[in-house]
Amino acid sequence: MPIEITMPRLSDTMEVGTILHWHVQAGDDVSAGDLLADIETDKATMELQSFDDGKIGQLLIAEGEQVKVGIAIATLLEEDELPSDPQGDSETLESIPEQPEEQTNQPSTHLGGSRVSPVARRLAEVHGVDLQTIQGSGPAGRIIKRDVLQVVDATSETAAAANTIQSAPSTPVVASTVAASTVQPLAPVVPWQQDRTVPLSNMRQIIAQRLVESKQSIPHYQVTMTFDMDPLLEMRKTLNEQLVSSGVKLSVNDFLVRCCSLSMSTHPEFNASFGGDCILYHGPVNVGIAIALPEERGGGLVVGTIRNADQKSLRSISQETMYLSKKAREKGLSPEDMGDTTFTISNLGMFGVEHFTAIINPPNSAILAVGAAVEKPVVRDGELTVGHELSATLSLDHRVIDGAMAALYLQTLKELIENPASLLV
Amino acid sequence: MSVVASERIIEFREALREAMSEEMRNDERVFLIGEEVAQYNGAYKVSKGMLDEFGPRRIIDTPISESGFSGLSIGAAMRGLRPIVEFMSWSFSLVAADQILNNAAKMLYMSGGQFGCPIVFRGNNGAGGQLASTHSWSVESLYANVPGLKMAIPYDAYDAKGLLKTAIRDDNPVFFLESERLLSTSGHVPEEEYTIPFGQALIRRSGTDCTIISFGRPLHFCLEAAEELAKDGIECEIVDGRTIRPLDIDTMIASVRKTNACVVVDQSWSFASVGSEIASQIHAICFDELDNYVHRVHSDDVPTPYAYNLEQAYMPNTRKICEAVRAATYNS
Repeated sequence: MPIEITMPRLSDTMEVGTILHWHVQAGDDVSAGDLLADIETDKATMELQSFDDGKIGQLLIAEGEQVKVGIAIATLLEEDELPSDPQGDSETLESIPEQPEEQTNQPSTHLGGSRVSPVARRLAEVHGVDLQTIQGSGPAGRIIKRDVLQVVDATSETAAAANTIQSAPSTPVVASTVAASTVQPLAPVVPWQQDRTVPLSNMRQIIAQRLVESKQSIPHYQVTMTFDMDPLLEMRKTLNEQLVSSGVKLSVNDFLVRCCSLSMSTHPEFNASFGGDCILYHGPVNVGIAIALPEERGGGLVVGTIRNADQKSLRSISQETMYLSKKAREKGLSPEDMGDTTFTISNLGMFGVEHFTAIINPPNSAILAVGAAVEKPVVRDGELTVGHELSATLSLDHRVIDGAMAALYLQTLKELIENPASLLV
Repeated sequence: MSVVASERIIEFREALREAMSEEMRNDERVFLIGEEVAQYNGAYKVSKGMLDEFGPRRIIDTPISESGFSGLSIGAAMRGLRPIVEFMSWSFSLVAADQILNNAAKMLYMSGGQFGCPIVFRGNNGAGGQLASTHSWSVESLYANVPGLKMAIPYDAYDAKGLLKTAIRDDNPVFFLESERLLSTSGHVPEEEYTIPFGQALIRRSGTDCTIISFGRPLHFCLEAAEELAKDGIECEIVDGRTIRPLDIDTMIASVRKTNACVVVDQSWSFASVGSEIASQIHAICFDELDNYVHRVHSDDVPTPYAYNLEQAYMPNTRKICEAVRAATYNS
């Protein structure tokens, strides 16, 4: 009997996965542990390895297709087992690779194995509804018109409710789904100005869901402080010059990761999560850094984790940050690379942004939005002179951190930034 | 609806008679021929009084010889007259099948355009009520299969008159399928002259949830079913096709595009039928508009039973139509 290889659940939140690339073809011999495919989950790209020895029977899902967890994606034949037809051996195997090609021509048949009525499929396209999020109510789970319209109606109700939230603030509106769009395209003035609808990627869905939850459930407030950057920039210049031969190239952000993590040790509530009826103070200090992904990888952003950042040198922080950014942009981060942050830094300084505010990355209770170190007229010792200043804004969860606590944290941060020698020892 | 409001109410059979009489007054080439159409005033009193008005040269009684009087009439049509041939029942047309299918329907083609065949064959079609298997034929699917003929099926008195006048004026053989069960029904028919063009279906009832397509007598069951279903909130749109050849598939498709569900009700048997043809065309033309495959209601696939209860159960009745609509709309 052929063994079915199913879409594995590669993270706790994973519902569907996309086959990015098959590393094997039908007929290939594989051993346990061999790389079979790259699978994109809700946030990471993971490698799927073979659990058994055998020969690949069929690839059931084409590259680029998305299926639900548990759906068969390939079959594995045991030693000397023939695909299904007992008469031909090599001939039969040769004919197998045609299967996936046929499948690619009909990607619609793979919606997690469920079926869709023609008009339901068309309506889903028109309204931008992701069919994979729908449970069909027709025979054998067929998705029918009614199922799609229910999603469309539910979403427009949510949107309508959101519009009236100001008049009825007592009704909390949490978008339970980001699956369907209710935005109306504008009437095109000329044909080439036609609006276009792009279905949400996995990542965009997760971003939409998480950030709406964060912004709607966490009582955000912001505190900003400006830092004199001249001592730190001076030290950075010196270090980078002296360590150029050993490949060290420290960024301003690396210094900030170190500053923030050291400050967190002093102010443990910045290394804490709101737990409903308690506050959870985390042991490790894990600083997340927001990494924007390039358009060709579908855009979006991920948060890479520098674990135990308070115990790491500037050099380690720098190396890890470079590793994470490169991997995120080229291949995608694994859950290991991303999880367990206790605080996040979002830095738009490299784009020349001077000031912005960020949305807290749950379950963190704070995020630091960092602008650029800008050369400007400053007053030092009562004298007007030219210096570099950097403005950073904390977004905080008021359930965990009060304003005065935020101010004290920023004070500690300021001392570290403006007296950077302490970062080295 | 194109129905002209009229105060005058007449029976279906009177509407047929008016259509024939008016056309005979207008056109001397038109005559009526068939069993008991003259002296007896028609087996179903459709031609009552016509012998008195038009005389025995134009209202012609025949022996029981469908093949003979059909062939005779086809010859007359080829030579320029415009016969109306009455079959007491379309069941009896089977013995004239060679004449009406092989000669009438193909004459224009076979003669290379030299001879047309402007003729109307009309009579009762479908289960009349305990007439048993051999006299209860629904011939629409059997005959609609043949190219070269036209086929009209009136639903009420208004359509009976308007469609029959169009049939008599048409230069091709027209198979005009009446129902014995409808002859005594009455409807508004205006005094003023009107005709109803072929190939124009009519929406008998508007609805949003399911399109029901039918012809002739079963439309009455469809309307009953629609009322029944409306109680459960299922609103049916009923399309009266009016003519099977030509078929107004456009109107049917437009309705299906609105409702996304369709049931075809055809009183002939299901195999290779008008119903299967319409379903096939809808699947081909607006597949992407369908929420379910086109469901069909036909007579059961057995010879028509004689027993009253079995005959009722055999026909495409209200219960079957309701079941089909519920299934097609996922409400069963």
